[in-house]
Amino acid sequence: MFKQGRAMKSRQQKKLLPFSAGEQQEIILDSIADGVFTVDADWRITSFNRAAEKITGVAREEAVGQLCKDVLKADICEKSCCLRETMKTGEPIVDKKVYIINADGRRRTISISTALLQNNKGVLLGAVETFRDISIEEDLRKAIKAKYSFADIISKNHKMIRLFDILPDIAASASTILIEGESGTGKEMVARAIHNLSPRKKQPFVAVNCGALPDTLLESELFGYKAGAFTDAKKDKPGRFKMAENGTIFLDEIGDIPSSMQVKLLRVLQEKTYEPLGSTESVEHNVRIIAATNKNLEDLVRQGRFREDLFYRINVFKINLPPLRERMEDIPLLIEHFITRFNAIQKKSISGISSEAMSILMTHSYPGNIRELANIIERAFILCKTDFIEKKHLPEALLPGNTVRTDSHSNSLRDVQSSYLLDILKQNNWNRPQTARQLGIHKSTLYRKIKSLGIEPPL
Amino acid sequence: MKVALSVWKDYMSTVFDAADNLLIVEIDEAKKQKRTLIKFNTPDILGRVLQLMDQKVNILICGAISRQFQSAIKSAGIEIYPFVRGPVDDVISAYQKGLINHAVFALPGCRKHGFAGNRQSNHRRRCGRP
Repeated sequence: MFKQGRAMKSRQQKKLLPFSAGEQQEIILDSIADGVFTVDADWRITSFNRAAEKITGVAREEAVGQLCKDVLKADICEKSCCLRETMKTGEPIVDKKVYIINADGRRRTISISTALLQNNKGVLLGAVETFRDISIEEDLRKAIKAKYSFADIISKNHKMIRLFDILPDIAASASTILIEGESGTGKEMVARAIHNLSPRKKQPFVAVNCGALPDTLLESELFGYKAGAFTDAKKDKPGRFKMAENGTIFLDEIGDIPSSMQVKLLRVLQEKTYEPLGSTESVEHNVRIIAATNKNLEDLVRQGRFREDLFYRINVFKINLPPLRERMEDIPLLIEHFITRFNAIQKKSISGISSEAMSILMTHSYPGNIRELANIIERAFILCKTDFIEKKHLPEALLPGNTVRTDSHSNSLRDVQSSYLLDILKQNNWNRPQTARQLGIHKSTLYRKIKSLGIEPPL
Repeated sequence: MKVALSVWKDYMSTVFDAADNLLIVEIDEAKKQKRTLIKFNTPDILGRVLQLMDQKVNILICGAISRQFQSAIKSAGIEIYPFVRGPVDDVISAYQKGLINHAVFALPGCRKHGFAGNRQSNHRRRCGRP
């Protein structure tokens, strides 16, 4: 039943005298479940309802006349006050998530909205702030997020959840792992998670992008060299295997290594030894190998481009990471994760993304996968000066009319990739490093894509 | 003795958990002061406690502070005067005169009888103390 307000009680005591305007206002405000307070032009509280008392722990008698920041005690009061913003721009702020410290010293997450307070002649009287305690929802949201995340990897996709279940067992074993997945699907992140969960976690994790190194350099980079091994080798240099001793080495883009190197790597796996360049002695190693590729190694074996014996040595346990277009249910979770991350890095307080922008992001095909989504959000952070990422903050290529859909029945995936890549290259004036950055892929991956899709740069 | 105050411009910062600046006041036996303003390196609890310890702070005077922060700071052996507001100079002067607990420096909701609203009280409620 409706709980009677102080004004109502006072009216009953006065034997049903009519309500004054102030009493009516108090009764109405007290009947609202959300906290409500109003301020004058000097930020002093002029009214404070019952829900506001309950959420902040400050009595109305004590709150009225005080500076709103001293009463609300929110994290944003000094640096990005919503009321100040509304008073300055005239624009309301809706559902901004902040935290307050209540009088018991408890942090409460609240959602606040603000608006100008004007009389019927349009004269500015101050501003009004309404707020709702969303701590319970926030705790639930965190619990759900924890359920869908594992060592910085976030997903509620059934394939990924299955992976989360077995990752600790994979980590505990000493077996070689092969991770397959398109560029930007988080292969290195999974490799790091395996290392961090393994008994080797206190030892080094060394990542090598085999595809980014010229064939001639790869051997010396992996195994090191002895002084005099070649003209510029003035002194011994340890290789990545030496640096990863007792730890884990992550060999990315293993499908791109030349056949001469494949033989040497086979020996490393079979005999647990390697020879630095220019050395006649073998060095024993204790390094766990995690290999990754964005290609289908079995196909490469069939085509004779990858040694079958090496494939079977590497493929002790295979992890397939699905591309983002096959786990679209993760996009809202990932967007929220990136917003939180960029808010912390860039010291911003963007609350979320508009539903229109979200629908655009939900229909994109993400050839650059999660890295591309992260780049889209990072780009939006540069442009976004408001609380929410809007459609206008997204790259033009994603907007309706410009969006390239992979679900088109008339085009093959190759055609769609080619057309999309061509668009992005044109946008960047054929600047390939810049294009690679925008797509969230490594520039060597971009070069390969350009070559494999037969895209010709302008003369 | 080193007294640290979380500050915003010339005033006490309203929320310690979100404060950016720390004013460290060294007070010698002759009650002379040496003031140093530093920035918090991190928003997380452990980082802030370590920073206070690095600065060899004995006493922290701050605005609203969450229980988690209070517990961590107390366990580092630092005495806290929480939920304090007002101009920094007035607060330092009140601390030196032993008047820091005066109601004029208490954030709303933190007087002794807080919710009942006893404005006459000169004592602060033990706001947010775990």
